[in-house]
Amino acid sequence: MQREVGTLPLAPVLRARLAAAGFQTAQELLDTGPCGLSKEIGISREEALEALQVVRQECHGHARTAEGSSSTRKCTALELLEEEQSQGFIITFCSALDNILGGGVQLTKITEICGAPGVGKTQLCMQLAVDVQIPECFGGVAGEAVFIDTEGSFMVDRVVDIAAACVQHCHLIAEAQQEEDHQKALETFSLENILSHIYYFRCRDYTELLAQVYLLPEFLSEHSKVRLVVIDGIAFPFRHDFEDLSLRTRLLNGLAQQLIIIANDHRAAVVLTNQMTTRIGQSQSTLVPALGESWGHAATIRLIFHWDNSQRLATLYKSPSQKESTIAYHITSHGFRDVQPPAVTPSTEGTELNPRKRPRTEEEKQQ
Amino acid sequence: MGEPGQGTETPAGWESRDGKRKKETPAGWENRDGEREPERGARTGMGKGNRSGMGESSRAGKRSGPGPSAGAGSRKERAGCGEPGRSLLFSIPVAMVVLRAGLCPGLSEDMIQLLSANGIRTVVDFVSSDLEDVAQKCSLSYKALVAVRRVLLAQFSAFPANGADLYEELKSSTAILPTGSPSLDQLLDSGLYTGEVTELMGAPGTGKTQLCLGIAASVSLGLKQHVLFLDSTGGFTASRLYQMLQAQTEDEEEQLEALQRVRVERVFNIYEVLRALQELRDRLSQQVVSSMGPLKVVVLDSVSAVIYPLLGGRQSEGLALMMQLSRELKTLAREFSLAVVVTNQVTRDSSTGPLKPALGRSWSFVPSTRVLLESKEATREKCSTQRAASLAKSPRQPTGIQVELDIGNGDVLDPSLVTPTQGL
Repeated sequence: MQREVGTLPLAPVLRARLAAAGFQTAQELLDTGPCGLSKEIGISREEALEALQVVRQECHGHARTAEGSSSTRKCTALELLEEEQSQGFIITFCSALDNILGGGVQLTKITEICGAPGVGKTQLCMQLAVDVQIPECFGGVAGEAVFIDTEGSFMVDRVVDIAAACVQHCHLIAEAQQEEDHQKALETFSLENILSHIYYFRCRDYTELLAQVYLLPEFLSEHSKVRLVVIDGIAFPFRHDFEDLSLRTRLLNGLAQQLIIIANDHRAAVVLTNQMTTRIGQSQSTLVPALGESWGHAATIRLIFHWDNSQRLATLYKSPSQKESTIAYHITSHGFRDVQPPAVTPSTEGTELNPRKRPRTEEEKQQ
Repeated sequence: MGEPGQGTETPAGWESRDGKRKKETPAGWENRDGEREPERGARTGMGKGNRSGMGESSRAGKRSGPGPSAGAGSRKERAGCGEPGRSLLFSIPVAMVVLRAGLCPGLSEDMIQLLSANGIRTVVDFVSSDLEDVAQKCSLSYKALVAVRRVLLAQFSAFPANGADLYEELKSSTAILPTGSPSLDQLLDSGLYTGEVTELMGAPGTGKTQLCLGIAASVSLGLKQHVLFLDSTGGFTASRLYQMLQAQTEDEEEQLEALQRVRVERVFNIYEVLRALQELRDRLSQQVVSSMGPLKVVVLDSVSAVIYPLLGGRQSEGLALMMQLSRELKTLAREFSLAVVVTNQVTRDSSTGPLKPALGRSWSFVPSTRVLLESKEATREKCSTQRAASLAKSPRQPTGIQVELDIGNGDVLDPSLVTPTQGL
């Protein structure tokens, strides 16, 4: 173990002391032992023991065995491909949006939804919180959802509407196809069940949000079925109260890395919403997502929702696997839907079509 | 210092070192590696025998290995990866070695105690102090001190190499790997050079990850070489890589083999990156590459994602870690003839200023080649796959030259091929 002391995840003070005492590699530390170490650099024996534990974990790899996730960290692309193909998507109930996303919202990735107020970001989040629970036999992922709300825009009565429509929809499919596992799955797929499997957290400022996100892995290991983590309003707590902008960048980037860890270790989709802000250019100003240029790298997939007159449009702006494209969507009382009832396509068995869809003019008011 | 058992261990450390020096000094560069092992053993007095043994074997392995032959497409063949010369260019820096008995002949325990009483603890302290002064203060013999200093300087200084050897070395070890995109190859003077760090930078959605995947596809399929992909943003998408491979070959067997040659590690903080690189170094230097095969390319996508959380605010440790990382990347590239590709973000000073790479000035010395990716504003609305790449830094080509790239290669245009939503 020739790893250098300077690269170990120890406290900076400790690293400095070790370097000053002439320690160069992890092996030297391990050979010295806790007693020798505490004597040599003048720390208590407990501290020395703790430090050595860190070193040992680092050296023998798999420091994360406690979380049982190290196996997913290293693999060949082939294994990853198989994993990707088997893991399914969270559908949005808008077939056009599903298509440009490559099948729906991807698990193990961060998806960011940016848009002006009232364009339907929160609606999609609530829709996803319901959709993630669709049983596997209906093509869902049978998961649970964590909803972290920073803006106070979560409307539980709206979730009831969306969930009721979703349950209804599944019942219709079950009736049409008369399959046994459908009936069985529907017994537990009820409104109450859906609501009780959305874990809601309200965070009022960025400290609470950061604390919540850093505590989330613990919660997720207790609730292993969670497949969706929504943070509705990542920008809101970070857009004011910051005098030191470099601190903001630091916190945000740390948050982004933590979210990727959550997404990867717990096979969950992370969905963030972001506000828009105005960038003033030389000749014209444009609307761009908030939180600055560097935040743009945080999310793997970025969707921008915008208006074109009275039409809502969604643009896939960034994605490692799909082309950039724009589609239209609608928000009805049943939730997030296609604009046109899609022509019944054989590939999707016309299932995106909500049979009980109301006239399109009946658009729900924005929260 | 002052550990029990050290007294008895020291002579052994002495002997082995002495023996080694007699044999190996002419080779110069080698004894440095060899020297360091016993020194560690002597310090701790435990497990020394087996560790210096390990050092031997790994060194031997490094030298005797014929080195993997370069890919069919590369212009220059490479020879063994442990040739002298490379170690000379990037020797492990001797930062703060503490003076201890057995470090060099003539440096005794008593002497060290006297020295440390006068505030001279490390080699650097010793070498930079005025010996006449020291001799007086510690009442040590000036002659002995000068002798010790001479030995220490010889021991810790670099061995000179001559230009002709270096050139031979360069010719025999450098390979140029195609990136899979002809225009990018043109920009990089025919491809990625091994032994160098190449940086791709750009705003979100300008195709950095796409180019990385393209490089992985081209190297693993075209050259049959292995690729290590360190993914710190979760951007690696195997299905997209598969698409690219499908666009290049029809043979399914080959596609699957190529996928197996790409090794992905998810590393989400700087310590994990450093650990992964250390593991890689261990594997390469011991030639335990059975599971990996000849490795040619290491991709780190993205470097800024792991460093940014450490920068800003009032803490400065991030810079130290960043430099550790850069050193690790550069030595890996050089010692094992790897092409290292990193991606970086861009920032601007004001909302109207020009784009510049993130991570500041100290990082700008790390990559020897930097490519800036931009999407063309005019075509933005049409969601095209056209990107402009320009050279921001290069040791070979004039900077500022620009080419057009199409990152949509291997796209599945037919939307019906996209996994259909099932059931609902």
